Amino acid sequence: MEDDSSGSDEVLEVGAFYQLLTAQLESAFGRRHPHWVRGEIAKVYEKGHVYVDLVDAGSASSDAKRPVLNAHCWATPWAPLKKKLAAEGVTLSAGLIVNLFGYVDVYAPQGRIGFTITQIDVQGLLGDVARRRAELIARLTAEGLLEANKKVTISPVPLRVGLVASPGTEGYSDFTGQLLHSGYGFHVILVKSAVQGEAAPAQIVAAIQTLDAHGVDIICVVRGGGSKGDLACFDDERVARAIAASSTPVFTGIGHTGDESIADLMAHTRAITPTKLGEEIAGIVRGWHDRHVRLPSQRVLDATTEILDEATEYVAERRRTMIFAVRDRLRAEQRHLVSTRAGLVTHSRHLLTSSARTLASHRALLSAYDPKRRLAQGWSIVTGRDGVVVTSLDDVTVGETVSVLVSDGSFESTVSEKTGVTP
Amino acid sequence: MSDVGNWNDAASELDAIVASFDEGEVSVDELFVKLERATTIIESLEARLDATKAKVDELAPRLSKVLESE
Repeated sequence: MEDDSSGSDEVLEVGAFYQLLTAQLESAFGRRHPHWVRGEIAKVYEKGHVYVDLVDAGSASSDAKRPVLNAHCWATPWAPLKKKLAAEGVTLSAGLIVNLFGYVDVYAPQGRIGFTITQIDVQGLLGDVARRRAELIARLTAEGLLEANKKVTISPVPLRVGLVASPGTEGYSDFTGQLLHSGYGFHVILVKSAVQGEAAPAQIVAAIQTLDAHGVDIICVVRGGGSKGDLACFDDERVARAIAASSTPVFTGIGHTGDESIADLMAHTRAITPTKLGEEIAGIVRGWHDRHVRLPSQRVLDATTEILDEATEYVAERRRTMIFAVRDRLRAEQRHLVSTRAGLVTHSRHLLTSSARTLASHRALLSAYDPKRRLAQGWSIVTGRDGVVVTSLDDVTVGETVSVLVSDGSFESTVSEKTGVTP
Repeated sequence: MSDVGNWNDAASELDAIVASFDEGEVSVDELFVKLERATTIIESLEARLDATKAKVDELAPRLSKVLESE
């Protein structure tokens, strides 16, 4: 064998060669000399340990010669790392750009050089997740999908509620509890779905589509609080597009107060928690009930009371008026009669007095013509044999006996001569 | 004539009787006749009112139930 200036003439067994190689690699890239490696996840597989194939970002998968780093993280360090990633809503998946920290190891039985992961740059991953989220929102906005479900008309009385949730969870109980205690007859049609984890997006999409086809008034997607990772399924593009495509209004009540998922952005109405969502739906029904049942009922009652009060007051007032009117009328008539009576008495008295005066005057006048008085003055009354008073010479004849009445008696006298009086 | 017609007709007739009293148009001969007629109308209206109130009292709790429901 020829001498190579950088090589050695020593012939090594395979095992010895690997020992030498391992020692060399470890001295530069081993446990004591870890490195950061950046790349795109081409493939990820987890079974206790997690295995990641990392390639240069942007390299084509069809390129058979692209370098691949077979990285792995053993179960013990992976458990806390996974937890940390999940808390931030990150799931290692193909296409994700990731910075891995670790060291090279050599697995001689398969002749493979691997990379043992000890750390993952979570902050970097978060930035990437945020970027991808922003890109998705921008895409949905550009397609006009962000407002699509908001344009769907909501039933004025959404009593048929389609529910996408996981029964037994706190969010499910909080939401259904609000509907149950609202006093209204909500009919809840539940389509069970995982609300976290990798299977969740597909199940949520299927549930929304099932309920949309079923014909409910609204679809409620409900999930209680959790880590960002727990809620990551609600940032999934498939879920977002399912909401936009739904012909039924989709309401969301996902997570805690501060959480806002892409599903929330896509939804017709978003409540900050499942409890609030239940309150909001009950509030819609209550609002309708108030406007169309309670208020009209109140108005009918008020108007009825008002009409009856007015009618009662009217009849009572008319009764009083009639009593007083008749009394006044009778009193007026009575006063008129009393007045008339008094007038009559006065008039009668006056008439009597006047008559008495007239009578006295007549009496006095008559007394002046009293025959007795005349007889006493020397006048006499001559009557013929027929008793008729003689007032003319024609009433007697010569030789006729006449009776002469004087004041104290009468005597007979014979007419011896008639002598006329020259006027 | 005991028939006083519907509420509005009866009320109009009663108003006319009251107006004739107010205007002093009622003679003593007419007074009793008008008073009797007014009394008939008032009693009829009161009877209707009582009957209506009884029906309302029966229905009001049912409406109140609607108002109390939450």
